[in-house]
Amino acid sequence: MKAAIQLNGVSKIYKDKKAVDNLTLSIAEGTVVALLGPNGAGKTTTVSMILGLHKPTMGTVKLLGGDPGDTRVRDRIGAMLQDVSVIDGLKVGESINLFRSYYEKPLPLAYLLKVSNLEAEKDKMASSLSGGQQRRLGFALALAGDPEVIFLDEPTVGMDVTSRQLFWDTVRAMAGKGRTIVLTTHYLDEADSVADRIVVINNGKIIADGTPGEIKSETTGRVISFVAGPTVKTEALLALPSVTDVEWSGRKVKVFGTDTDRLIRALVEGKFDMRDIEIHSGGLEDAFQALVQQAN
Amino acid sequence: MNQTMLRATVAQCKAELLRTVRNKRFVIFSVIMPVIFYFLFSSTIGDQDIAGTNFNAYYLMSMTCYGIIGASFTTFSMRLARERSQGWIRMLKITPLPSWAYIVSKIGAQALINLFIIVMMFLIGGIGKHIDLPVSTWLSCGAWIWIGGMSFMALGTLFGSMRNPDAVQVISMIVYMGMSVLGGLWMPVTTMSATMQDIAKALPTYRLGQGAWNMLSGGALDWGGIGILAAYVVVFMVVSSYIMRKQEAV
Repeated sequence: MKAAIQLNGVSKIYKDKKAVDNLTLSIAEGTVVALLGPNGAGKTTTVSMILGLHKPTMGTVKLLGGDPGDTRVRDRIGAMLQDVSVIDGLKVGESINLFRSYYEKPLPLAYLLKVSNLEAEKDKMASSLSGGQQRRLGFALALAGDPEVIFLDEPTVGMDVTSRQLFWDTVRAMAGKGRTIVLTTHYLDEADSVADRIVVINNGKIIADGTPGEIKSETTGRVISFVAGPTVKTEALLALPSVTDVEWSGRKVKVFGTDTDRLIRALVEGKFDMRDIEIHSGGLEDAFQALVQQAN
Repeated sequence: MNQTMLRATVAQCKAELLRTVRNKRFVIFSVIMPVIFYFLFSSTIGDQDIAGTNFNAYYLMSMTCYGIIGASFTTFSMRLARERSQGWIRMLKITPLPSWAYIVSKIGAQALINLFIIVMMFLIGGIGKHIDLPVSTWLSCGAWIWIGGMSFMALGTLFGSMRNPDAVQVISMIVYMGMSVLGGLWMPVTTMSATMQDIAKALPTYRLGQGAWNMLSGGALDWGGIGILAAYVVVFMVVSSYIMRKQEAV
């Protein structure tokens, strides 16, 4: 498969801080990649360098085989950036049409209004839209040129549940048409359900890279938590089969184990004083937390 | 230049025009105020001679300059500042719109806006006050204000390079009003003290007006005045591009 995006030994150094540290990453055409990481991990800086908005201090960036600053490359990409508001003095439809005019083969206005769920707002001033609606307008602008590579930097911030649903449905449809999608998000369940590859970045470095399933299985993941009576002691819990760790917060205890099926049986048979029992299968959230903690 | 770039430039230009016309400040400072001021002052001062010409004609040129300068100072600079503070420039950078097309569309739109103000003022003032000038004088005065007036885009760009749109609004308004009064656009410089006249002569606002006033009295363009205006353009262009570059150097 051809690489849509190729980063080779890319670093970005601001005055005294290394925002991105010797990053090498190849993203194949037609994949949906989620860049995850805590705030300040270097996700947005990485995206900015791929887009040619920032120049890497070291290393090379190739987008669709070329320079991101090249007009012919830009004709084939689209992006929703953070901290970009709408343009003043233009209506929604006018803003979209303005963007459509920049591209060789723009998508029809009606389609863009539909997928951004802004059909009713077409003749409203863009600046009068709510935060979530402005985000959706940003999505329509990102898609205006029928891009092959789409960048979505924290795309769903401020969107309501319905909009979010439609948004991801559209993104999935785009992915189904072989588009390459690079997204960053704080909502891990979104990344889990959309992405076919997850790259976890921390302190400017890649600390994990794989399918959502692989990322989840890399960490122990499973937890049984309950409110414990006074007779329950840490030592007794640690002695149980497959237990790796015990964590208290007040009377609530979290028992980490590799085999929660055996563990729950042992807890019941051992007549531990338990209330409000919950078993969590490790989600992406837990895996992510564990990875970042390990790296730190 | 290919089809798409041409289409993009035209669309960008159209968007600039729409944004300007929808801006209340533009309507107030570049359309309503010059017209009202013109009729107010030409009616109170009346039909007398000034600087070798009729006051009504003289003041029509003053107010036309005033309107044009306002369009560059208050609305053009605001559009720039908003685009920058709202991240719009960043967004445009990842589109295939070339930066030259962006600049050309800005200049093209401003040229159309200025032309509109000139034609409007000349029609309203000329008909309303029965100003009788040879066609060649109308054309040469209009052409001078049109071309010379473009130089105020450079100062507008400097205001637009400031980060805070609210500050841009206040500062550009102060400079606009200050320069218009001191440059003799509101009251002719001949009514001012010698010191004030010296100050006026150093200002670009005076130099824009002077070109037109000279032509009314049958004089030619003053190359010294053009030189001063051009010097302002160069300085403002250099300073604003330095500021913008510094802001973007990350």
